[in-house]
Amino acid sequence: MRPVISVSLNGRAYQLEDDAHAALAGYLEAASRALAGNPDQAEILADLEQAIADKLQRCLGPHKTVIARSEIEQVIQEMGPVDSGPGSGAAHDGVPPGAPSPGSGGAGAATGAAQAGAAAPKRLYQISDGALLSGVCKGVAVYLDVDVTLVRALFVVAAVLTGGLAILVYILLMFIVPYANTPEEQAAARGLPFNARVLVEQAKLKAAQLADVAAHAAMNNHSREARAQWKAEWRKARAEWRQDWRRTRAQWRAQRWAGAAAGPIPTVPPPMPPLAHFISGLIWAALGLVVALVTLGWLLALFSLVTTGAVFGWIPHHLPLWAVVIALILIFQAVVWPLRAARHGMIPRVYGYAYPWHSFLDGLVGLFVLLLVLWYLTHHGHDLQQTFDTLQQNAQPAWHQFLLAWQTLVHGWH
Amino acid sequence: MGEDSKLGALRKGFLEFLVLRIISGSTVYAADILKKMAATDFATQEGTLYPLLSRLRREGLLDYQWQESEAGPPRKYYRLTAAGQRQLTEFDAYWAHLNQTIDSMGS
Repeated sequence: MRPVISVSLNGRAYQLEDDAHAALAGYLEAASRALAGNPDQAEILADLEQAIADKLQRCLGPHKTVIARSEIEQVIQEMGPVDSGPGSGAAHDGVPPGAPSPGSGGAGAATGAAQAGAAAPKRLYQISDGALLSGVCKGVAVYLDVDVTLVRALFVVAAVLTGGLAILVYILLMFIVPYANTPEEQAAARGLPFNARVLVEQAKLKAAQLADVAAHAAMNNHSREARAQWKAEWRKARAEWRQDWRRTRAQWRAQRWAGAAAGPIPTVPPPMPPLAHFISGLIWAALGLVVALVTLGWLLALFSLVTTGAVFGWIPHHLPLWAVVIALILIFQAVVWPLRAARHGMIPRVYGYAYPWHSFLDGLVGLFVLLLVLWYLTHHGHDLQQTFDTLQQNAQPAWHQFLLAWQTLVHGWH
Repeated sequence: MGEDSKLGALRKGFLEFLVLRIISGSTVYAADILKKMAATDFATQEGTLYPLLSRLRREGLLDYQWQESEAGPPRKYYRLTAAGQRQLTEFDAYWAHLNQTIDSMGS
């Protein structure tokens, strides 16, 4: 059992545990001292009390009516030490909300930064301030405390390597990850006080924004408002989509749990004549083989590039290695993607909607092709090498001619 | 910490300018101002902002009026006075001038 003290904050009653009351009284007393001699002392104190009351409101609920000391201390940290005004030297150097210095005046601000990192919980948010698209990369960068450019670069590389899967992930995150709107959320997104590097970067950004001269102020205000409005609407729409998506996901789950037998079948294609069915099955299998062979060739090309610095004997003189790797990946995706798409389009024709069977058979065919190729390599590897050699011998002059033609074409234009 | 406190002093000097700028955009109340600054370097707290707002009002640069809010008690909504607008224009011009000066110095 604990004694509880009732207080009125700007005309509203709050119940505090006794040590919570002591902490709050200490803060307000320090504030009152700092504002001594300020003609607006009473008004500022009332405003501070109102802000504290607003913050305490979120700690209370139908089953929680008393404020504990830890909650008061959290609120006091967010409020920060009260600045006694111009020229007083009670420096407060922009410590973000969440940095502690409970009731200890200005001195706590400097030492508080280190503790804040440990105390503040971190969450992943989208941050629209300084965002390129939606703020996912920015949010991740802030969460991991690294440069946003690094995250963006890694994301682009991931997008290429995964054949666009990363873009899908980005879009999903865009709809799932919440925005940091309130100061509390923004503090939680960072979790840590700013370090000097991020600080300088943001200062640069701010400088660029503030550099608009006053002459354009009216015009800028207008366009800024329009942009803000557009952004707000876009965000609202996105929130709705997000809800839709959650609902759909819940339905998916429900259906999956209801039983795999009754899968979500929108339409069943009309039954095919047996011959057509057989032929489409053949085409489907052939497409699979082509994809498998292309994949294999691509892997061999990558392997030969990394080990010998040449793609099947062709040495890329003018390009750095990474550029050739990326080019190979892009070419591979460009070739394979339509084949895969065509193949997936045929699944319902060949198998109906028995998805588990399709993936199982797909795996079997892939395994078979792999074994076949391995067998071929072990028995005819030498022949293959010769084939590559002759291919290279034939291809090289053709390639040189192409380069020559290209150069004359380009120079002809100059 | 030495470098950080130097930069902190820089930021502190800009605080007034920034508050005027935020208020010039639209009428706002104190929590709006804090929210706008929260994700930036100028993240600040009630303990700093409220005395600053009160001083700016005393200097006649801004003004407030009470407005009802859907949730909770009425709030003070701040807007710039004509003097505040003039001060902001001056600040803006001086900032542009400072930027040019700084850019023209050094390598």
